[in-house]
Amino acid sequence: MTTTTATPAAARRAISPQALAALAAAALVLVALPVFTSGYVIYIANLLLVFVVLCLGLHIVIGETGQFSMAHAAFYGIGIYASALANRAVDLPYPVAMLFGALVAGAVGLFIGALALRMRDIYLALATFAFGEAMQWVFANWDSVTNGPNGLRISPARFGPLEILSDKQAYPFVVFFCLLMIGVTIAISRSRLGRSFRAVRESEVAAMAMGIDIKRTRVIAFGLSAAIAGFAGGMFGLFQTFIHPDSLGFQTTILVLTMVVVGGLGSIAGAVGGAIVFGLISEVLRQAPQYQEIIYGGILILFMMYAPRGLFAFIGDRIREARHGRR
Amino acid sequence: MKAKTIGASLSVVAGLLMSMAAGAQEPGITEKSIKIGIFGPLSGPNMAYGFDVVNAAKMYYDKINKEGGIHGRKIEYVVEDDRCNANDLVAAVKKLVEQEQVFMLNGGSCSAAVVAAKDYVVRNKVPYLMLNASGDGALYPPTDYIFGAFSISQYAVGGAMVEFAAKSLNAKTIGYINHDDAYGAWNLEGSQADAATNGVKLAVESVSPSINDVTAPFLKLRAANPDVLLIVTYARPAALLVKKAAELGYNKPIILSVTGTASLSQLVENVGKPALKNFYIQEVMVDSPGGEKLKPIYDMYKAAYPDLAAKPDHPQTYMPYGIPSAMSLVKALQDAGPNPTREKVLEALKKQDFDSGVMAGRMKFGPEERAANKSTIFIKYDGTTMTPQPGVFTSRWTYKAK
Repeated sequence: MTTTTATPAAARRAISPQALAALAAAALVLVALPVFTSGYVIYIANLLLVFVVLCLGLHIVIGETGQFSMAHAAFYGIGIYASALANRAVDLPYPVAMLFGALVAGAVGLFIGALALRMRDIYLALATFAFGEAMQWVFANWDSVTNGPNGLRISPARFGPLEILSDKQAYPFVVFFCLLMIGVTIAISRSRLGRSFRAVRESEVAAMAMGIDIKRTRVIAFGLSAAIAGFAGGMFGLFQTFIHPDSLGFQTTILVLTMVVVGGLGSIAGAVGGAIVFGLISEVLRQAPQYQEIIYGGILILFMMYAPRGLFAFIGDRIREARHGRR
Repeated sequence: MKAKTIGASLSVVAGLLMSMAAGAQEPGITEKSIKIGIFGPLSGPNMAYGFDVVNAAKMYYDKINKEGGIHGRKIEYVVEDDRCNANDLVAAVKKLVEQEQVFMLNGGSCSAAVVAAKDYVVRNKVPYLMLNASGDGALYPPTDYIFGAFSISQYAVGGAMVEFAAKSLNAKTIGYINHDDAYGAWNLEGSQADAATNGVKLAVESVSPSINDVTAPFLKLRAANPDVLLIVTYARPAALLVKKAAELGYNKPIILSVTGTASLSQLVENVGKPALKNFYIQEVMVDSPGGEKLKPIYDMYKAAYPDLAAKPDHPQTYMPYGIPSAMSLVKALQDAGPNPTREKVLEALKKQDFDSGVMAGRMKFGPEERAANKSTIFIKYDGTTMTPQPGVFTSRWTYKAK
């Protein structure tokens, strides 16, 4: 996969004033959004935040560990179905149901990771793609559990006495869980495990020489990645009341992959920004139905040509150039 | 006396104020206009199911506006693309209701996707007439807010096909091939109900909508030695099946459901005319596409969209499907009177029963009936000529609470 230049830990930890300002602006937007906008905008915001978490999951396996996975729509779907069914069947409190969805997806991810251990590159991509297709078939045909091709109605989430019946009610919870997962991903990335992931990504031989158990690291990456995608599925159930297997196919996998790659592989900011920017572009382009596919394709080609390391690396480079120019 | 007069006057004023307040609370209604939200797949691989259907609905509303509107109000429409995708459809619906503040909705061509909006529409009490989705999962169990005016439900599509095969083609064993999705499941349920009544045996094969090779399911069906083959799939698997049947020398009748007839000219191009020697298509309209009884609709299209009409394959086969739901919406608004509210329109819809002159059967809702149409005609098609077959065939399926 991609190579990145090693950065000193202290430099990585330092937050520039610009980054701080951007974070403050983002926080302000998140807080102000429900005050000034309609439920439609909040719905889009909720959906984008779910995609942010889904992208974080994919970031762990692709961006951090350098493994290819095309099964994220499946893990996402497992999270949606498992949390919805747990909530419905035994009336689990919704946060517990979300955790259950993440655990089920994570367990399946560990299993797939263990099976896919000997594969890499295109073979791994094909194996995970096959798993994704198989899972969509399971969602569509396991009638007694998933309600099959009729889709599954998701009961409204409950937090104590509060039953969530609108996008605005769900929004604070979606924001909270999204920030939580960003925090978890940053913590993983900065932990010993995260360093192992990146060591495996850069060179398996060198990582092995340093005493890293390659197989174990790859399996853990798959499991964690799947669990985060499953958690995103639980978040989806906070504001969406219906899931259909058609929504969990190859198209969703490609959408998330595009968000992560175009946002910037190997960067958490890239995964978050890619999800938001490309989610928004996709929604805005709905206003130009005749041309949207051409415009979307054109944007992707431009990114690949002029920002192959991703949107945020491109912006960072331009800022650095501007600074050097001023000096 | 004076006190009584004052009291009566105050009551009248209070009543007026209350009715004004009630009127003011109805979104999308002004003195001069009624705003409605239309949505359908206007892009992507499924746009053939919605693009010209949306155009048809728009041109019908334009016609009503030219004729003076509804009780003096013009219909103002806002159109959104739902991409045939559940998340996008919900976004479109929420945008229309919350941002555009429409009075009611008229949209959806994709059955799986429309179900995703059901809870939202019901919670927000928005009258919603589907465009041409069968959307059985949204229509049943019935709610007070969601109606399928065009909608021959998939239950009815399947049931009517079995009726035709049994009664007109004397079939005793029917080879039946459907999708392994919601569409297919609903259709099979309706087909089984009519097969049981007619004493017909169904040999069933279900395939993925994205199937690329239909040899195995076709051979399995042929092994059951069916008298008739019913194909209840979207256009692409349908074309593969018709072609495969011809290649393998199957010469018994084939009946294609309305869902598989997105473009008949494309079908002919894909399978070749010899494959259509003993071929029937189902149609929910009163006549074959472009037929004499539907001529006014096609003329209206030519006048409304001269540029599109000049292009090959336009209007698309499904174009007239946008008319019945638009008719139903207009009639409900008319029946609701000069001061329409959402509740009045919903009451009018529940009692609606009229002959559209466009559909094969009457457009009829009821206390538990949310799919207006249960009838279809059948057309023999040899690749060039369409010959409507005698009779209208009606499904027996009715909703029963489980």
